Amino acid sequence: MARLSTCAKKMKHTPRLPSRNHNVTPVSPIRELLILLGGLVAAMVLIYVLLGLGADLLVEHISPQTEQKLASFFAPKKNPGQGQSAKEQWLQSLVDRMESKKCVRLPYPITVQVSPGKHVNAMALPGGRIVVLDGLLERVRSENEMAFILAHELGHFKHRDHLRGLGRGLVFAVVSTLIGGSDGALAGLVQRSVQVSESSFSRDQESAADSYAQDVLNCTYGHVSGATDFFHHMPKKQDPGAFGHYFSSHPENQRRINSLLNRQQEKHYPNGTRIPLPPGSRKDVSPPK
Amino acid sequence: MTEKQMQNLAGRRKKIVLTNIETIPGRRIVEHFGLVSGSTIRAKHLGRDLMASLKNLVGGELKGYTQLLSESRDQATRRMIRQAEDMGANAIVNVRFSTSSVAQGAAELYAYGTAVRVE
Amino acid sequence: MYDLVIILILTALGYFAGSWAEQKHYRSIEKREQAMLKVPVTTMKKIKLPRERIEKACLVTGSAVISVDYFKRLLASLRNIFGGTVASYESLLDRARREALLRMRESAPGASLFLNVRIETSTIGRYSAKRNIASLEAMAYGTAVYLRKKNETHAAPAQP
Repeated sequence: MARLSTCAKKMKHTPRLPSRNHNVTPVSPIRELLILLGGLVAAMVLIYVLLGLGADLLVEHISPQTEQKLASFFAPKKNPGQGQSAKEQWLQSLVDRMESKKCVRLPYPITVQVSPGKHVNAMALPGGRIVVLDGLLERVRSENEMAFILAHELGHFKHRDHLRGLGRGLVFAVVSTLIGGSDGALAGLVQRSVQVSESSFSRDQESAADSYAQDVLNCTYGHVSGATDFFHHMPKKQDPGAFGHYFSSHPENQRRINSLLNRQQEKHYPNGTRIPLPPGSRKDVSPPK
Repeated sequence: MTEKQMQNLAGRRKKIVLTNIETIPGRRIVEHFGLVSGSTIRAKHLGRDLMASLKNLVGGELKGYTQLLSESRDQATRRMIRQAEDMGANAIVNVRFSTSSVAQGAAELYAYGTAVRVE
Repeated sequence: MYDLVIILILTALGYFAGSWAEQKHYRSIEKREQAMLKVPVTTMKKIKLPRERIEKACLVTGSAVISVDYFKRLLASLRNIFGGTVASYESLLDRARREALLRMRESAPGASLFLNVRIETSTIGRYSAKRNIASLEAMAYGTAVYLRKKNETHAAPAQP
């Protein structure tokens, strides 16, 4: 009996390869990079602008009393028993004089502190404290110069700069961690760009504080000599120079001097004699090198 | 073949049949062409990632990621079908899927099978 | 400032070196695939085989590890923000898998066909908070069947 062929026909093998690679999207990587980076930059600019508007709106609503309470949380209060040293008392008297002459109108009382430190710096801390470092006191040559520096810090208080800087910086830090946190390459990029924007933000504020200080000087002393002195006395090392200034938070000194002189001419502020430092004020400071 | 030509071709032909068993039930395999595969890797945007991190606190289905995975599956399968059509097949047997986590927040899906001609 | 410059240099390096390596690899892959076309590879388990001609069958594997370059990683993390297909990793996956498959076939040079081929993928690398992936490993494994040629006679003792 012949067997019925129930076997299936043997499968034929025909070797074929696909004509093109379907598993890869044919897009130019450079183009993709540019598009995505452009989108990212646009998004960050948008966030920055919105934040700026938001911060300005918010700052108006924080009263000075609230600000002081907040500040006392973060900054330790100086021991009340210690009282102010001779240097501090002199500095305080300068501020008090500005206030008594109605040249400054401050929302809350300001205290001045001197901190030991070689750096040449003065800071305005939230809540109404100005901290001046010893290094700065060494460099100052006249009362007017010191008054300008103090008035500059008072300007920061008046414009509530530290509040704005705090709010913006915080949100930016959060956003940059969210976006860049997953990858080192991107986080680095985001961090650098945030730094650039933050520096220019406080640069404008510094210029505004300079102008304010010049007005106060004119009001208190009748002239503005001594306003630009400190920029000359600042040690060369701290002057960021031509290339570094985009990443520093203080504009280059020469630019500040020039803008102050220009402003003096515009407002017709006179020059006058500088008042020398009181004899005992630099007693406990190390002798100048 | 350009993309458009292939799409026209796909429209004219009958749909390609996929199975993950050895045969197409009821049909007979007469020719086989070799391995075909489709792979894709897709990422979800920042908003969905944030929602997922929040969901990590309360639990429940991550709808955003479910959608992401099913989109990946569709795209991978489509690519595999296109490769098979390119070779002249009309069915794919013994299809297998494999996923791996290649990047954070991105889903990678790989589908592969044997392209055959059935009648 | 210098960090930005370094990032830019690394990105450019990644792009140029990476795409050169990729082109070279793809050319090699296509050439070898063309050469190996004759031997069927399938995911099927049962194919009708002439039983008397089967010489041996054994498991064969092939694997490949391909690494990411800086440029691809940057693109992928940008994609992670906006969503969509991560095109920069697609070529990586494709290359790794095809390479693994080719190596599997090359490891059994005299085989007549490969059955039940499976492909597994995994990622290798340091998983710190900042890294996505460092490299990709693809492994292909299947059964290689060796068939004696048609005109070869059986070596076993036949009936007298």
